[in-house]
Amino acid sequence: MESSESQLQIRLVTKQECFAVPDVPLAVPGSIEHNSLNELINQLIKENKSDFLKPKEFDFLVLGELLRVPLLEHLKEHNISTEIAIDVEYIERTPAPEPQDSLLHDDWVSGLHCVDKWILTGCYDYSVNIWTTHGKLVTSQKEHKNIVKKVAWINQTNPSQGFISVSHDLTGLLWQWEPGTDQIKPQVVLKGHEKGIDSVGVSPNCLKIATGGWDTNLKIWSSSFESDDEPAHKKVRGDKNLITRTPIHTLKGHKETITSTSWIDNHVICTVSMDHTIKFWDAELCGIKNEIVGQKAFLDSSWSSLSNTLLACSADRHIRLYDPRSSEGSVVKTTFTSHTLWVSSIEWSKYDEHLFMSGGYDSGVKLWDSRSPKAPLYNLEGHQGQVLAVDWSNNKYLVSGGCDNSVHIFRNNYVF
Amino acid sequence: MGKKEQFLKRKLEKSAEESDEPDSGAESVENEELLNVVNGEDADSSDSDGEIEESDEDLNDSDDEIEESDEDDSNTTDEESDENELENEENAAEDTANPARDEYSSHDTSDEEDIRTTVGNIPMNWYDDFKHLGYDWDGNQIIKPESGDLLDTFLKRMEDPDFWRTVKDPQTGQNVVLSDADIDLIKRLKANQIPDATFDEYAPWIEWFTSEVMKTPLRKFPEHKRSFLPSKSDAKKVSKLVHALKMGWIKTRAEAEKLRAKKEPEFYMLWATDDQAEDMRRIHKHIPAPKRLLPGHAESYNPPPEYLFDEKELKQWNKHKNAPWKRKLHFVPQKFESLRHVPAYPRYIKERFLRCLDLYLCPRGIKMKLNIEPEALVPKLPSPKDLQPFPTTLSIEYKGHGDMVRTISTDKIGQYLVSGSDDGTIKLWEVNTGRCLKTIDTGGVVRSVEWCPNPALSLILVAASNRVLLINPHLGDTLITSKTDSVLETAPQSDAIVSERIKTTVEWSESIDPKEYTQGVRIALKHFKEVAQVTWHGKGDYFATVMPDGLNRSVLISQISRRRSQIPFTKSKGLVQCVLFHPTKPCLFVATQRHVRIYDLVKQTLMKKLLTNSKWISTMAIHPGGDNLLVGTYDRKMLWFDLDLSTKPYQTLRLHGTAVRGVAFHKRYPLFASGSDDKSLIVCHGMVYNDLLKNPLIVPLKRLQDHETNNDFGIFGVLFHPLQPWVFSSGADGTIKLYSN
Repeated sequence: MESSESQLQIRLVTKQECFAVPDVPLAVPGSIEHNSLNELINQLIKENKSDFLKPKEFDFLVLGELLRVPLLEHLKEHNISTEIAIDVEYIERTPAPEPQDSLLHDDWVSGLHCVDKWILTGCYDYSVNIWTTHGKLVTSQKEHKNIVKKVAWINQTNPSQGFISVSHDLTGLLWQWEPGTDQIKPQVVLKGHEKGIDSVGVSPNCLKIATGGWDTNLKIWSSSFESDDEPAHKKVRGDKNLITRTPIHTLKGHKETITSTSWIDNHVICTVSMDHTIKFWDAELCGIKNEIVGQKAFLDSSWSSLSNTLLACSADRHIRLYDPRSSEGSVVKTTFTSHTLWVSSIEWSKYDEHLFMSGGYDSGVKLWDSRSPKAPLYNLEGHQGQVLAVDWSNNKYLVSGGCDNSVHIFRNNYVF
Repeated sequence: MGKKEQFLKRKLEKSAEESDEPDSGAESVENEELLNVVNGEDADSSDSDGEIEESDEDLNDSDDEIEESDEDDSNTTDEESDENELENEENAAEDTANPARDEYSSHDTSDEEDIRTTVGNIPMNWYDDFKHLGYDWDGNQIIKPESGDLLDTFLKRMEDPDFWRTVKDPQTGQNVVLSDADIDLIKRLKANQIPDATFDEYAPWIEWFTSEVMKTPLRKFPEHKRSFLPSKSDAKKVSKLVHALKMGWIKTRAEAEKLRAKKEPEFYMLWATDDQAEDMRRIHKHIPAPKRLLPGHAESYNPPPEYLFDEKELKQWNKHKNAPWKRKLHFVPQKFESLRHVPAYPRYIKERFLRCLDLYLCPRGIKMKLNIEPEALVPKLPSPKDLQPFPTTLSIEYKGHGDMVRTISTDKIGQYLVSGSDDGTIKLWEVNTGRCLKTIDTGGVVRSVEWCPNPALSLILVAASNRVLLINPHLGDTLITSKTDSVLETAPQSDAIVSERIKTTVEWSESIDPKEYTQGVRIALKHFKEVAQVTWHGKGDYFATVMPDGLNRSVLISQISRRRSQIPFTKSKGLVQCVLFHPTKPCLFVATQRHVRIYDLVKQTLMKKLLTNSKWISTMAIHPGGDNLLVGTYDRKMLWFDLDLSTKPYQTLRLHGTAVRGVAFHKRYPLFASGSDDKSLIVCHGMVYNDLLKNPLIVPLKRLQDHETNNDFGIFGVLFHPLQPWVFSSGADGTIKLYSN
């Protein structure tokens, strides 16, 4: 009798036509987990389609959340009656990333950016390095006079447009690089910050750069390598023929360090700060568009243009998903908790609106689905110290770097 | 008795004596009636007397009134003439029997009524059977006159023309012939006229008290002041009545009538029941004594023989001599012949005494006793949940020191952290990542470090054994660091003579060892004793150093801009533990072993002496507002002083098990923390209100225990992040820990 009591009516649905099964309600035991559901669905597909040979892994979405516990428990958590038939959507499971390589540095890696097969890293030993995804150091140069905090390619697709690095020596450098060669050369020095620079963001049209740091100001710079059509006396050429550039705009508003700067489109910048606020700036009008006040000091953020939401991690264990468009209710849509210490960096995937990765001071790198707030999809093990930077700019590679002086590269097994 | 009445009587007497006055016989019928009247009066004299009396008195009264109120001449003459007239009449009648007549002309008394007989006012028919009629003044019988028979009467009627006006005086039994005046009076009385014929009924009315308001008052003196004021006693009475009406104690007539109409027949217990407690006004919630049993037959003085004890019963009774409560009766029934033989109760006094004792020791009232739990007296503290944010979780550990980390300090914005350790180094850390950016060897045990509060200077003050170093960490703004270097490079020339006392205490040295210079050391001060503590003044130019072994030179205040030191105290007040500058005012807090003294630096006077009531102060911290001081002691206590309130601690917190070594206030959040040798860092909520009437609220929030002990030492330094609700603690295990919310 007990088994019959915990019987649940489910209806299996999918949005992927190739895996469709007949729409008939099924009775399954309440204690069923996603593994057994997976077997069930594979069986069903095999019955329906003769050409389905290799079993596939599926994940199950119940009530908008991934099934990670027995179905009955999942329903109880959401206070849903077990009497009615439940729609269980099945989706192809995100494949587990595979560790591919580890790039050993001389010091902590604090900045990471990957474009094409080139991985740009910024180091605490003041160096800026370029690696290939296969673990070959292309070039390394110590131009900065203090720790390099963040690095970013100017163009998201074309590394030949150069890159920018920001440092605690109060300057940012625009570098030029011919892909494949070990010749990198700083071209422009960005001077204007009074304290260390902690964050950098390049606009989608690659024309502007926004930086923020400990002097609490957000500064917008031009990203061109040419000495702009500024008055002649401002074009100070220092040694090594560096062009010194001053900011186009300085936006004041934050009360503490700006820890992350990201462009939402060509005109809107989103910054998070340790003064517990997220601010949206209009880069044209130079004013604050919107502001979200949080509870903790923010450490990093990532904007997804796919879902138009912002992920922010703060000086606690949680990652919070903000929807700046929502005006009523809580602006925090979901809280993702799995890290045990501060989450230092976060990055959305560029191809799936649900996937993102995070790295924390607990030396864990985690791959998340935004529909599963309690548990990440995968833990990417390998780091032995705090993770300071993660990057998923190249869809194929999940890159993370940290205090163990290494950058770990995980290959994404998703078939594009 | 009225005047007129008397007068009438005298007339009667007169006529009785000499009844020889002429009269007309035409008034026979009237006379008959008159006779009846007179005789009727005779029959019930007392009644009619009274009536006449009353009316007469009224008249008399009015006369008197007139006499008193008005002393008009004309009136008196009237009266006199009236009396004269009467006197003349009387004189004519030659009345001799009334000698007091003149004496009592105006006021007569009732004593004179009886003139002849002394029997008094008795019914005269008592003398019917006697031949006499009372006694005269000499005691001789007054003999009734001869009364003739009917024939005589008839003859008299026929012969005597005055028969109709002859009446019998009941007092004397004599026949009295009424005079004309009497007849007239009687007639007037019968006709309901005023007896006095001379009285003018229609005299013009004199309005003595007129309703018209006169221009000048009738009376010379003004109305008394009292008459204008409403009477107080009346007001009191009225207010009492009003109050009673309001309270419903008394009812107006209408209300009472209404109530009475409404009232239904009431039934009530004739006797109060035993089971209900009787109300007692004197004793609140009185418990009535248990009712005693009614006396039975055994208590009788003459009980039936079956109630008297026989020998067995008596033996039983005697057996319980030592346990009298076991006896069935508390006495031995006794038989007496009569009640007279019952002797006095021998135990009377004793029993009364016991009863009084009983009442005194056991008053039968319910005593209202407050049963308050001790917990209820403890003020309700808010739940820590409501006092967020405060540091709760260990977030970052700063590892690298080889020995105990005694002291920590952060820069103004919380980007960097400096720590000083027993291994002789100071380390500079990046707060957010836990990265050690720099290590500077100082060559001595670092007991105290403090970042310069002046944002224009990039300087760290370090106390390393007997040296105080000013170190430029070269972190942050390059402009500031280079400026700091250039500022410190050249010493200002001053011709001030440095006294010998200071010279022997401290030595400023600009020439730094090149190796140290590259590390950032800019100025070194060599002290004559070990420096235990250094602290900046809020502006970042002055700093104070403490050398506990320095006796009267243990506190030193130095100024960077002038490269000068001062010794503020000439006398040693004790072993100085630590000093502290007030955040806003020019005050210096000096903690010796037992006391904290507050000095005014401008006036150079002692402002206050705080009594800690503890054995050994270890450290202190001041609230950013400057009105509250937190003192940690080696005897496990933390003392919160409200400087406005008292020189005694406002609150003593015994949260730690061992010596408290570090206390700190947060600059922005209402938080303070303390670290102790028991490895625990305790974070408390310490809200200071702007309202001076409100005392600070202190709530212990969290105990954080992550440090390891080393050599019985636990936590040394406690420091809050300048902006975030985070706390750092440095421990004897060589680590610094950051706790975040």
